[in-house]
Amino acid sequence: MEDMNITDYLAKGGVITSPQHMPPRFRAEVLRIMASFVDSELAGAAGFADLINQGPGVAERIAAARIVMEKTEHAARVLRLMSEFGTDTQRYASGHSWSDRLARDAAVGTERAHGDMRLSVFNYPLAGWGDAVVMNLLMGQAVGLHLADYARLSYQPLAEAMREISLIEARHTSLARDGVAKLVAEGQKPALQASVDYWWPRVAVSFGSDSSGRAAALMAMGLRHTANSEMRKRWQTQARETLGALGLAAPAD
Amino acid sequence: MARFLPLTVTDVTPTIRDAVVVTLRPEDPAEFDFVAGQYLTFRRQFDGEELRRSYSICAGKDDGVLQVGIKRVEGGVFSTWANAALKPGDVLEAMPPMGSFHAPLTRQARRHYLAFAGGSGITPVLSILKTTLTREADARFTLVYANRASSTIMFREELEDLKNQHMGRLSVIHILEEGAEEIDLFTGRVDAAKCAALFAHWIDPASVDMAFICGPEPMMLAIAGALREHGLSDAQIKFELFASARPPRAKPLADTQSQAPKGAGVAAKVTLDGESRSFVIPPNTSLLEAALANKIDAPFACKAGVCSTCRAKVLAGEVEMRANHALEDYEVERGYVLTCQCYPLSDSVTFDYDQ
Repeated sequence: MEDMNITDYLAKGGVITSPQHMPPRFRAEVLRIMASFVDSELAGAAGFADLINQGPGVAERIAAARIVMEKTEHAARVLRLMSEFGTDTQRYASGHSWSDRLARDAAVGTERAHGDMRLSVFNYPLAGWGDAVVMNLLMGQAVGLHLADYARLSYQPLAEAMREISLIEARHTSLARDGVAKLVAEGQKPALQASVDYWWPRVAVSFGSDSSGRAAALMAMGLRHTANSEMRKRWQTQARETLGALGLAAPAD
Repeated sequence: MARFLPLTVTDVTPTIRDAVVVTLRPEDPAEFDFVAGQYLTFRRQFDGEELRRSYSICAGKDDGVLQVGIKRVEGGVFSTWANAALKPGDVLEAMPPMGSFHAPLTRQARRHYLAFAGGSGITPVLSILKTTLTREADARFTLVYANRASSTIMFREELEDLKNQHMGRLSVIHILEEGAEEIDLFTGRVDAAKCAALFAHWIDPASVDMAFICGPEPMMLAIAGALREHGLSDAQIKFELFASARPPRAKPLADTQSQAPKGAGVAAKVTLDGESRSFVIPPNTSLLEAALANKIDAPFACKAGVCSTCRAKVLAGEVEMRANHALEDYEVERGYVLTCQCYPLSDSVTFDYDQ
């Protein structure tokens, strides 16, 4: 059997299957991706949990509670993978306030303020049921694109977890779409449009920029396949279409 | 944190000249209830240094035993010891089974599984193969098994027995690098051309529901590429990398002096992605914070000593690690630290994220 340098192997699309024998940089970046995912799921779930009882009916509350539970399960699933790297998962999940938020009017793109790796969009508080449903719809579509990319990443156990998680996250997004449609039918369009205007730029910045050298390094290691700007463009097209079908308008970019 | 549990060796049987099958009896059997395709990570002290090695379980779920295959690796301390000195009655320590090289079984399915194994990469595949044929009564299994020469084929007889036991459901294609075979198809390496030939003449890729590949890097790439070309999705291809190459030690490329201010502080030198940088760490600043302040793209996530993303090795100088919930004793003994929790005690400190 011939030997092959692990860097070449990754550049050619190879996959790593266990935490042993990982190049240190690869290990660190896989951990960062997992931490960012776990923190975003825990922060997202914690924020939405407070809204469950604002659901207009029992069906909505069940859906919201289910979403909170499943997002927490997704965090647990990836935390289990982190534990194989040595992470103390108990301390990781319990030693932090996941419901912390910035002020509603904090500037778009404000740096993470709470010492965790959540995507910046999860730093903003939800303003009621309709606002939460709009946020879940817009961010859900963004997450769908992130997860589709992560499903191809070169650490196989994580790619597999992401493939399964993406199916359930897609259901959350579709529940959010139904929720928005229902509120539109009830005549709440102006308030929903205000929420769209609020969340649109905040979800857009969550894709990050292309400028960092890290983006190229991640691609070379097979940990990313789509550029941030490309993903943002796809999201804008997709979300604009979804909003249009609901009778809402996407703000100009 | 990793938990190591005791297992008593009940049998050590050679399979080929340089490989043994080790049968183990765990003190706590429930902890070692494995999924076919998983591996065990062992630890043992050699000359005062702890070594950890992972070996795949080769027993099927219904064999009623826990067995791993250990092939001697050139210069490998653990595998050489296991092949030469390990004997019944010895007690080993291993973590509970890990790994995701498996696919869910469905009793009523009539599925066709295709597996590629290179050398000792047969161990997890054997476990999957035995378990699948026993538990899915209508499943078919095709194994493409690559070896250097016929004398290095692990489990050759056992595979023959399995073919007889599961008449018509298991087919094994041996491919030998130093082939005595007269047919070219069965000689050489398993590369893209070999896969193309196999798919043209022997295996219908359209009939394959799930594929497993276990072997060294070039083989994994070639086979995965060929399977994708023939329409298999990523979800239908399971990998287990039997790394032949060690992770590369990045060589320092440059030693750029940053414009660090003179004065109180600790002289630090850090290596990251092959580049060394020098700067000054101000008082009460962690190694990580100082590196980040100097625009060094050091890895981190939790900053609380929990996740281990910021792990580095201290090569010179003394540091104090204020919290550590992620590194194990043996890592700390080797000089690994969590840089988010580390503060210098000496006048200078050298640390390396590339090790």
